[in-house]
Amino acid sequence: MNLDSNDIFKGYGDDLKGYDELINTDLKINENWTRLLDNVQSIGAEELDQLQSEIDWLMAENGVTYNVYNDPNGLNRPWQLNAIPFMIHEKEWNVIEKGIQQRAELLNLILKDIYGERKLIKDKIVPPEVFYEHRGFLRQCDQITYTTAKNLLIYSAEISRGPDGRMWIVNDRTQAPSGMGYALENRFATSRIASDLFQDIHVKQPSSFFSDFNKMLVQAAPSNVENPNIVILTPGPHNETYFEHAYLANLLGYPLVKGNDLLVRDGFVWMKSLQGLKKVDVILRRVDDVFVDPLELKEDSFLGVAGLLEVVRNNNITVVNPVGSGIIENSGLVPFMNAICNYFFDEDLMLPQIASWWCGQEKERKHVLKNIKKYVVKRIDRSNRESLYFCEFLSEDEIDILKAEIVKNPYRFVAQEKISFSSAPNYSEKNIEPRKVVCRTFSVAKDSGYSVMPGGLVRVASERKELRVSNQRGGVSKDFWVISDKKQENIQQYTWNNSKGLKAIDMNDLPSNMAENLFWSGRYLGRAVVTSRFLRTALSSINNQQYNTRKSDSEVLTLLFKAVTNITSTFPGFIGEGSEEVLKNPLKELQSLILDRDRIGSLAQTLESFNNSYYTLRNLWSKDMWRVFDSIKKLWSPYDKSKKYSVQGLIKLLDKTISRLIAFMGLIEESIMVDQGLLVYFIGLQMEQASMNIAKSRSLIVFNYEEQLNYEVLEALLNSHESLNIYRYSYQSYLGLENVVKLLILDKSYAKSLCYQFNRIKKDIYRLPIPEKEEGLIECKSKITKAFELINNIDAEELLVLNTENTFRENFEATLSELSDLLHETAILMSSTYFDHSFQQTQMVQQKIEI
Amino acid sequence: MLFDIIHDTTYKYEEGVTFCHNIAILKPKDILGQKLDSYELNITPEPASFSERTDYFGNTITRFSIQSYHKELKVIAKSKVNRSFEKERQIESDDKAKALTLNEVCELLKGVDDAVLDARQYQLESVLINKIDDKIKAYAEESFQQDRSVYEASYELMQRIYDDFEFNTEVTNVATPISEVIKNKKGVCQDFAQIAIACLRSVNLPARYVSGYIETLPPPGEEKLIGTDASHAWFSVFIPTFGWVDFDPTNNQKPKNQHIVVAWGRDYYDVAPLKGVLFSSGKSELTVSVDIRPDPSENTLLNLNQQQQQQQQ
Repeated sequence: MNLDSNDIFKGYGDDLKGYDELINTDLKINENWTRLLDNVQSIGAEELDQLQSEIDWLMAENGVTYNVYNDPNGLNRPWQLNAIPFMIHEKEWNVIEKGIQQRAELLNLILKDIYGERKLIKDKIVPPEVFYEHRGFLRQCDQITYTTAKNLLIYSAEISRGPDGRMWIVNDRTQAPSGMGYALENRFATSRIASDLFQDIHVKQPSSFFSDFNKMLVQAAPSNVENPNIVILTPGPHNETYFEHAYLANLLGYPLVKGNDLLVRDGFVWMKSLQGLKKVDVILRRVDDVFVDPLELKEDSFLGVAGLLEVVRNNNITVVNPVGSGIIENSGLVPFMNAICNYFFDEDLMLPQIASWWCGQEKERKHVLKNIKKYVVKRIDRSNRESLYFCEFLSEDEIDILKAEIVKNPYRFVAQEKISFSSAPNYSEKNIEPRKVVCRTFSVAKDSGYSVMPGGLVRVASERKELRVSNQRGGVSKDFWVISDKKQENIQQYTWNNSKGLKAIDMNDLPSNMAENLFWSGRYLGRAVVTSRFLRTALSSINNQQYNTRKSDSEVLTLLFKAVTNITSTFPGFIGEGSEEVLKNPLKELQSLILDRDRIGSLAQTLESFNNSYYTLRNLWSKDMWRVFDSIKKLWSPYDKSKKYSVQGLIKLLDKTISRLIAFMGLIEESIMVDQGLLVYFIGLQMEQASMNIAKSRSLIVFNYEEQLNYEVLEALLNSHESLNIYRYSYQSYLGLENVVKLLILDKSYAKSLCYQFNRIKKDIYRLPIPEKEEGLIECKSKITKAFELINNIDAEELLVLNTENTFRENFEATLSELSDLLHETAILMSSTYFDHSFQQTQMVQQKIEI
Repeated sequence: MLFDIIHDTTYKYEEGVTFCHNIAILKPKDILGQKLDSYELNITPEPASFSERTDYFGNTITRFSIQSYHKELKVIAKSKVNRSFEKERQIESDDKAKALTLNEVCELLKGVDDAVLDARQYQLESVLINKIDDKIKAYAEESFQQDRSVYEASYELMQRIYDDFEFNTEVTNVATPISEVIKNKKGVCQDFAQIAIACLRSVNLPARYVSGYIETLPPPGEEKLIGTDASHAWFSVFIPTFGWVDFDPTNNQKPKNQHIVVAWGRDYYDVAPLKGVLFSSGKSELTVSVDIRPDPSENTLLNLNQQQQQQQQ
């Protein structure tokens, strides 16, 4: 086959340098790829472009994101998946797999040795400084023994094809390797959308790997634990791979927790759940080594659990991977790996590594200093973001500084040969062009060996000429196909979720942080809806005014504007100092209350708060929810508070916002189970709506107005409450205060009435799990019951009695005020009972020590 | 000499603490020349969990948690230590080791016997002794030359720090970087020990941090020694073929019977006497006092020696 016959690949080989996956050195097409080429040819350029857009769309729809630090776009950068996969034949893969397994076994033994006997040092296989100078060598982890068969439970090897055509080991990831969730989501996306590309290609699926992964976690539990409680520890939503943490939690069915959801007590680790403390047996951690225990490791870490390491030492919990495993993410080991392999296994390494010179050895150091420009120099313990020197690009001064640094701390540095890794076809702007790729593979400990995911995550350089490949820089990913000559099963969702030993999480086990976020999601959502509707009512009234010149109209407007300030608590606004000026140009103030996200109480700010608390719950999201959520964000993105918008324009924005928020609320109700925390969300939602309804009533209807004004106020109130039609249906009469109060405040069966809302809050609070210390809940119940009894037994006539001056309804105001206080107290009691984070973790000795 | 040591640490919390996890390194070593006759650790309120283990460096680490609400934490370590430094091997009587030059020591450090392999990690920078700069190296090189005896040079380094640095409790804290200490030439025993260690490491010598106590009131006729706060600290250099040799730059002398060893490590970070994580929202106030008395049963003629220092933070 010839590339020129394939339109889409035309020009592919024009300036190829180095090894390419598609075109062999003799300029022939690698036959593993021919079927894919045919498939691409037969769907054609148009279709392929379409396919790529669909993948992009699906990734955005599914909310697959990758956070990039210091990116102005902040959270939620869409994950990019290229339509053209990376391919390797099963025959070659089997060799690679064996090599990865060998390396995993080897690293496991190194890890065990370095925190144990240190025979590698004593028997002079590895110079001690390779470990001692590595910041990942945690002396606190010395001599810890584990109940698991292996110390290294998850291993991620990064591989790339070297100039000799073999796959080389580029990096070892052993602390908390990320990427398997992205790899799986990539596979789902390509299977769903790009099935035409799969035509007659048999791709191996990762289903059994994920089953092994789950089994590994279950078996990792300390001995004698049958149904272990497993949690996934995340640093939180600002972490670059938070999507994946939530994704795995969802996939495997384990709670996603942050450090402050866990605590150490009586020698065990416990999760703070709604019901109380629940013992944890296994922590799958996505938090780096030094952050996991502020008592013994990094003292100012808020991402870990104080005292965790001691529980590990006593084998009362298993942390996956074990704390301290960062020591084997160590490029200083590379030059010694083959010797280590011979030492332990009496055999050579199967997979080649990049030629490396550890500067701690005199001969090697001299060689490096002499030839430094040829090399890439890095710290043996470099994290992703520091101390990586491509010496060919450094100035003479920079070289001198680096050399001096090497001479001063020689043990710290390793020099590696600069390798041109292979390129693979990549779809880019209607072309297919070669790009450098790196593959991340995943292995988990299994019985006597390691189970390797067939394929993995492939990352692509962002430019055609780019040599470095890194997601931190916003790269593109690829699905990784290991192709077989035999037919393979299709990927199935949840096949690894074998029910044995797994039970669904119930509300008692809901981590208290997550419960708190659900509660606040409810509150923010309630506030957003009520605020939007009320602002819309105010804007519509401005709109009507231009067709009307009656005096009361401007009066009703003033009342509405003041109510806006009241219910959003955005003083002074239309009420306090300077309000006369503000009232002259009300649109400016209203627009600011809609669009100014820096203003507390504004709609934009409420939506943003909602955004934040909701984002931390993403393991509960359904795909439909993400889509609606995203559509709200897209709707708002073009609006700019510094521009001027018309009344109509703002109303349109509010209309759309309201309908999307309502759609979203509907989806929450149908997508999240009560036991997953929906109850807590409802309580938050109802509390917020109730308290805003009270605020509306207090600012609009406790005063007495003359008839026309009264009519207009009532109409606006019903409007803002979306209850005008119901009123007409229920009363079929002229608008009267008593009937409005009967409907909006006292009705026992109307879902938007205050009485109904109080009843609902009461019922939901009575369904909450009973915590270990019950007093808080008992008091909470008594407050809400009192509030409900109060509103349920109101006599409308008595309530609305006017004062002697006929201006004000004292009873009404007093009742609303009491209801408001009771509601507030209920909310506080609920927070302190269930989401008690008031005690902050602090250091006994305040000091800033970097380890 | 027999000593009774009472090390009393008290934390007062404004808002109270719901629970806390702590680590203490307070147990004096039981080694050649220093016998630990008795040791007890009293903690109030009573800890819910308590355990002791030997850490990587061979120090005794005590871990405890308090799970009940408290507004005051009291940790009192009482030790009876019998000090007889004459029993230790003395480098002064090992002429060969005493004469080893920097050159020779560096060559011997390439060896791989267990003691050397272990000592090699103390050549490297550590948590608090990091970014050893040229200023420190230059200061070290005034004493250390390739063909000069390491023992002699270390002794001189101790004397120079004693002469050049001002003892001052106001200017530094546990996290003050060594680069600042070398610039201001002020600090406490911990700073002096760490500066000395940085100097030794800058010329590739293994050096470690020793924490312990010092008896400050001397027998009649001898000079009074200076202690800083609760604990004292000094440094130790590894001389191959011999072993570790201690020097106290704060008092310009080699530790003898008035120095009691509690722990050693790469720097203060490895041997902090008491640290912890607690759950509280308010401020705390710390009081530390150390009381060292020669045991009256043995030294009836000596005056009682008592020192109390207070430190607030």
